[in-house]
Amino acid sequence: MQPLHGVLDMLVLRTLSRGPLHGYGVAKAIRIHSTDALDIEFGSLYPALKRLEMKGWIASTWETSETNRRAKYYRLTAAGKKQLRQEHAEWRTFAAAIAQIMGPGSEGQT
Amino acid sequence: MMLWRKLIHLLPWIRRADERDMQEELRALEEMAGPRELGNLTLAAEDARTAMGWLWLERLGQDLRYALRSMRHHKSFALLVVLSLGLGIGANTAIFSVMESILLRSLPVPDPESLVVMKWHGKGYALASSGMSWSTGGSSMDQTGTLASIFPYPSLEMFERNDDVVSSAFCYFGIEHLSVTTPDATDSVKGHYVSGRYFQGLGVTPAAGRLLFSDDDTAAAAPVVVLSHEFSRRRFGNAGAAVGQTIRVNDRPFTVVGVVPPAFFGAEPGATVDLYLPIHALGADPAWGSSIFTDEHFYWVEMMARMKPGVDLAQAQAALAPRFRQFAEGTATTERQRQDLPELKLEPGGAGLDSLRRAYAQPIYVLMAMVSLILLIACSNVANLLLTRATTRRREIAVRLSIGAGRSRVVRQLLTESVLLSSIGGALGVALAWWGIDILTALLAGGRDHFALRAALNWRVLGATAVLSILTGLVFGLAPALQATRLDLVPALKDDRAGRPMSSSPRIGLGPVLVATQIAFTFLLLVGAGLFGRTLANLDAIQIGFNRENVLLFTLQPGSVGYKGPALNRLFEDLRERFGHLPGVQDVGLSNQPLPMGGGTSAPAGIDGVSPAPLADGTSPRTAAVLSTVGPGFFKTMQIPVVAGRELTGRDDAGARQVVIVNRQFAKLFGLDNPVGRTLTLGNRRYDIIGLVDDALAFTLKGERRAIIYFSYLQNSSPAGQMTYELRTAGDPLGLAGAVRETVRQVDTRLAIHEMQTQAVHIDQTISREITLAKLGSVLAALALVIACVGLYGTVSFNVARRTPEIGIRMALGAPGRRIVRMVLGEVFVLASTGLGVGLALSVAGSRYVKSLLYGVAPNDPAAIGMAVSALLACGLIAAFAPARRASRIDPMRAVRRE
Repeated sequence: MQPLHGVLDMLVLRTLSRGPLHGYGVAKAIRIHSTDALDIEFGSLYPALKRLEMKGWIASTWETSETNRRAKYYRLTAAGKKQLRQEHAEWRTFAAAIAQIMGPGSEGQT
Repeated sequence: MMLWRKLIHLLPWIRRADERDMQEELRALEEMAGPRELGNLTLAAEDARTAMGWLWLERLGQDLRYALRSMRHHKSFALLVVLSLGLGIGANTAIFSVMESILLRSLPVPDPESLVVMKWHGKGYALASSGMSWSTGGSSMDQTGTLASIFPYPSLEMFERNDDVVSSAFCYFGIEHLSVTTPDATDSVKGHYVSGRYFQGLGVTPAAGRLLFSDDDTAAAAPVVVLSHEFSRRRFGNAGAAVGQTIRVNDRPFTVVGVVPPAFFGAEPGATVDLYLPIHALGADPAWGSSIFTDEHFYWVEMMARMKPGVDLAQAQAALAPRFRQFAEGTATTERQRQDLPELKLEPGGAGLDSLRRAYAQPIYVLMAMVSLILLIACSNVANLLLTRATTRRREIAVRLSIGAGRSRVVRQLLTESVLLSSIGGALGVALAWWGIDILTALLAGGRDHFALRAALNWRVLGATAVLSILTGLVFGLAPALQATRLDLVPALKDDRAGRPMSSSPRIGLGPVLVATQIAFTFLLLVGAGLFGRTLANLDAIQIGFNRENVLLFTLQPGSVGYKGPALNRLFEDLRERFGHLPGVQDVGLSNQPLPMGGGTSAPAGIDGVSPAPLADGTSPRTAAVLSTVGPGFFKTMQIPVVAGRELTGRDDAGARQVVIVNRQFAKLFGLDNPVGRTLTLGNRRYDIIGLVDDALAFTLKGERRAIIYFSYLQNSSPAGQMTYELRTAGDPLGLAGAVRETVRQVDTRLAIHEMQTQAVHIDQTISREITLAKLGSVLAALALVIACVGLYGTVSFNVARRTPEIGIRMALGAPGRRIVRMVLGEVFVLASTGLGVGLALSVAGSRYVKSLLYGVAPNDPAAIGMAVSALLACGLIAAFAPARRASRIDPMRAVRRE
């Protein structure tokens, strides 16, 4: 399942709020945290990272990984944290509204 | 933040560093992840680049760089394209700038849309029937009657009274030649006599001093004058210095009170007005008298008005027309006049008086059509060249498409190239137009005094050129780009050569269609050039009856500075004597008007004791003869042969017997071979016929040869106060200009010399439209022919190159070189014939639109069409011959080995 447009940015910001990660790490983290429900193609994720970096919400540095490999690590900036809080709030309102309309049941079973 | 980062990213070294960084990052991630886990990294990188920069801008930069590189590699291709487009766009820009100045431009005054020009329409020849006595030529006649723009002065008051629709009404009267004396010199300038509210109505503000007010325009007011900016600069150094000076206009003093701004040229586009005088100043001139301001039958002033805000033309027309009708009804004295009252017609006045537009609109539309065709020919050439080049680039394009470039991306790349080429062509075109405008203006002016087109490369012209260039690039780049990218990739990739033989494609390509179109359009231009060229040749072949070469013409108006009666004739004779003694002058003649006269009077005359010879159908002929007044030496100077009797001399004066000379046409009216010695009767006057001369021009160049009676000016009881001198010279007539001016200055410093020009130029002026069309037409047709032949050459060469293997096989199978040449030329011939057929149909349909611009040639003149056909076929075959020969020299072994 691919996330909605615009949601990807939010997911990346949320994932990075747990700590710095390299590009591949972000992809893996999203998959793991969604218990495999969300499988984000690297082809979409990577441009999103670059886009967020251009906006100044995340920043990157070259570091050495736990397996002694050099990789580029992304972390949230102050502006990114602010952005994430805002998007999170908006998301909660949005999700609640959708939930209210959709209700708990599923069609055909009542 | 983001804007700043993106801007930084545009810097090439930053971008290169970012790119390296990204590649390194992706490599590192690839090593970490499982094989193929990350998917297409090239695409991811490309999308990341989009996120990082203004990709469109970068791509544009890339495309431009790529286009420039490919231009450098294909110099001759680029040169051909830029040159054809430059010539096409340049011709269009030049003609459009002239069209803009004549047909589209508004007067340089505030709110030109609220100005109106008054005209009236009358059935029949209303000027004569309603007792109107005089015209400036501001009228034209057609089947519906007369349309005129001249009014009696008293009608001004009537228009001014309509203050519910009109905020101000004003009128003016132009005089072509005024003698102006400043302390330095006496000159001939054009002047407008304007009513008191003229400047107020037009909304002109002075560049220096003040303009004219209503108080200046009364019979009793002090004589004042306003100068053009150019005249003040020429005579006084600058506008400010002119104010307060006194100048003499036709020998009467006027005080300069102000100068109009440089851009203001009066209300008539094309005219160069140097003086603006109050119209009542004319009343003090004895030649006019004050009755012109009260005479309700004397139609002479041009009338304009400014409408009140919110009033439109229809409302103004509805309000003013009944008033004018009432006015005209009040002045009518006969039943016939009451039957044919002039009806007022308001026309938009924002562009000023339309005399220039009337004269030039049609030739300009024709020229505009011709240059548009040239541009189309040039564009199809470019499209063809692009197409050819795109075909040779099939492999390159296929490679780019197959590694994932979108079709739109490749099309955009190809379009960038064509727009770049057309923009360079446009720039070249502007440079060419810069130079062409002067030539065009000179051609259309034909050496007239006080004439200016004011054509210029202003923002409107340059904007049109820019739009034209870019559109050309887009429209004519798009078709080849689309065709080039519609590829079957696999064969195109496998193909190691430029392309496949044409026979493998069942579709008729764009190329042959373009070439046939070019040929059709070129044919149209050639026919046009042929028609205009033959028109000019016919005009040049007209027997004018005198020798036009090496004659200097100029006109003096001593009457306007006070000469009359015997003093006038003494001055004319004195000057004739003096001019005759100038070195380089062979003969001197004089006449009231130069030939052709442009117009004049004719009257029925008789010969004592001879009745007019009956015409072939038995009816009596009209014996009306043109009346012409000349002086001693006229026939000798003009080299009009005197076939019997003698020429006029200085002794044929007021004290001698009244004499005339007649021409052959006149003698023929009476069936006489030699009327010398007989008595001519005109009204109640009688004249001795002392000479018979050969026929020569009278009123117009194109008019039929008329019977003419020549009188001696020395016997004229009411002299006109002006005289044209004809000087036959040994060398260049204009070389004598200085000596003539000096001679006149010695006799009287107040005398201005008007219209100094050669006799040849004077004749050419009357046909400047035809000369312009013939000269430009042939240049444009030649241009079209060259461009079309280049296109044909390119197409044939390209096809020969593509068909090398096929031709090689044919030759290997024994076809002789001759047959190959014939085969290639045969195909060209079919293509050319198709184009010719279409062109012929178009020219038959279109040539009637130029009928009124032709003389002595039918619109579908077989000679012009034949000439066009042979010129086109000859040039087409020559263009195709070189590649055909190249085809016949193909080495079969090498050609086949390549297959």
